[in-house]
Amino acid sequence: MEIKILFTILISTIFINNYVLSRILGLCPYLGVSKKLDSAIGMGLAVIFVMTMASFFTFIIYKLLLLPYHVEYLRTIAFIIVIATLVQFVEMIIAKISPSLYQALGIFLPLITTNCAVLGVAVLNIDSGYITQQYGLLYSVTQGFGGGVGFTLALIIMAGIRERLELAFIPENLKGLPITFITAGLMAISFLGFSGMKLF
Amino acid sequence: MNNYFKEIFKGVWEKNPTFVLGIGMCPTLAVSTSVSNAIWMGIATTFVLLCSNILISTIREYVPSHVRIPIFITIIASFVIIVELTLKAYQPSVYKALGIFIPLIVVNCIILGRAEEFASKNTILHSILDAIGMGLGFTLNLTVLSAIREILGANKLLGYQLIPGMKPALLMVLAPGAFFTLGLLLWGMNVIKARAALFKRTE
Amino acid sequence: MNTFQMIKAILVLTIIGFIAAFSLSFMNKLTSEPIAKQDQEKKLLSLSLVLPSYTIQKENTVTIDGQPFTYWEASKEENSVIKKAYAFITEEKGYGGTIQSIVGIDDTGKILGFTILSQSETPGLGARCTEITSNETFFDHFFKSNITNTEAIQWFQVQFQGLDTNKPINILKKGDWNNTIKDALLQQNAITAITGATITTKAVTLSIEKGAQKLKKALTLHEVKQ
Repeated sequence: MEIKILFTILISTIFINNYVLSRILGLCPYLGVSKKLDSAIGMGLAVIFVMTMASFFTFIIYKLLLLPYHVEYLRTIAFIIVIATLVQFVEMIIAKISPSLYQALGIFLPLITTNCAVLGVAVLNIDSGYITQQYGLLYSVTQGFGGGVGFTLALIIMAGIRERLELAFIPENLKGLPITFITAGLMAISFLGFSGMKLF
Repeated sequence: MNNYFKEIFKGVWEKNPTFVLGIGMCPTLAVSTSVSNAIWMGIATTFVLLCSNILISTIREYVPSHVRIPIFITIIASFVIIVELTLKAYQPSVYKALGIFIPLIVVNCIILGRAEEFASKNTILHSILDAIGMGLGFTLNLTVLSAIREILGANKLLGYQLIPGMKPALLMVLAPGAFFTLGLLLWGMNVIKARAALFKRTE
Repeated sequence: MNTFQMIKAILVLTIIGFIAAFSLSFMNKLTSEPIAKQDQEKKLLSLSLVLPSYTIQKENTVTIDGQPFTYWEASKEENSVIKKAYAFITEEKGYGGTIQSIVGIDDTGKILGFTILSQSETPGLGARCTEITSNETFFDHFFKSNITNTEAIQWFQVQFQGLDTNKPINILKKGDWNNTIKDALLQQNAITAITGATITTKAVTLSIEKGAQKLKKALTLHEVKQ
């Protein structure tokens, strides 16, 4: 196993193929929670945790349960159940540790279940062929972690920009979603600059 | 009869999933790189939406409230797997083009949202109409977005070249193009709504 | 939530789970045959593309350097002489992922045909390796009844035809390939790279060279066995 490979996976999921700005996954919470920086950070950390653990458990379930019994086609249903359970778990933890954050995140915490990015990374781990590789589990968990970090990065940048947009002059019809999307588009262009980067 | 049309049309205009309700945006942006992808995605999503709405509406009396979300998700995921297998078997090129977005139909907020808000509280007939309307609205959104992106970004429509020899604006078929197109379209919607409201007030 | 409600919830969930499981395994049975058939058809189609007018005789799988390597033997009769040809699938990591392609070469090592089976490169850059250039436009296809001059070619793949795999394949930068630079490139046993996608071009070229080497090894193994 080479650290090189892990590093490549991290760089490519955080920057080159950023889940939000490049693969366009995880938009609903991205647009909903990015209004304030604090809730954005809290949401980002929750998503990192869920994506990493989801990568871990879905990989194990696929390898030990679905493959041996030749029911790979059930992966969609198995994965979503795993993710839903994990999110429930994270909800309980956050409610106990930081009730204020729980309040701030509101409806968006259980909505991590329907976050395209979480199910997306679980499916992507399988499609990347890690199942047959020797350190596949490690690569998958790294990819999940990187995906979460990339999501959080994009979220924090967007929250910072949106907080300032509140004070800027924006024409009435552009306020809210339109200007947010255009901002996201500009961010996506800047992240496009990472593509074509040769690592090692 | 008019009522039925209204129910369907509601999903296209008044409660348009992407432009009004703001749900189901991941597939709308990511799959809209070409019109044929968009239409197939729309068909797949509408099928899942229709079937799950019908089933959930049928069993709505027997579903205990605290476990309703897992039950809805199981039902929706099952239909998604059915669509996945069918596309893989009979339309492999579409399956490859849509990629991971076929299993991602499960987490399409539109389907779970309509199941929770509408199908679990209304009759089967109304749920069917609602599903058709929402599916139609979603497909139309996708088609409009993908037409703009494919024409400007790939100089093609339905896979066939439009203006020979012209180099298209590649940005449009990549992620930024998706964001810009939707942002500008949303702006357009807001302008239309503002003008309509102004009209109503001055009448 | 009292015990009765909990039991009811578990019961409903279990029933729905069973129904889902049965219907899904039924669907799986229904579709597993068409899915398997598809892989077969795709393989046959790509074989016929890279070995035009040859009949496939045999498919062999041997282990070279610890990895399985599949190649096909084909032959055709031309001027009452039996000509042999081979085809193999090769893959190499490109920029975005693995690029898998199938190559057809004749018994002198000359490439007869080359098709890329799957790639996930960057659109507009590496993905241009499967780009089709054609003169036919949207309006021609749907509105005109007599379509002439519609030559659709995948220029990046077509340019590999006629190259000699016994010598290294040179990569030059001459812009997009067209018929006018074809002879000059073939003389230097070269191809022209995709502008801005050198990694993809190199990966594809490397995969062909590696595959040709493996084929040589496999053929000598075959002869030794006989």
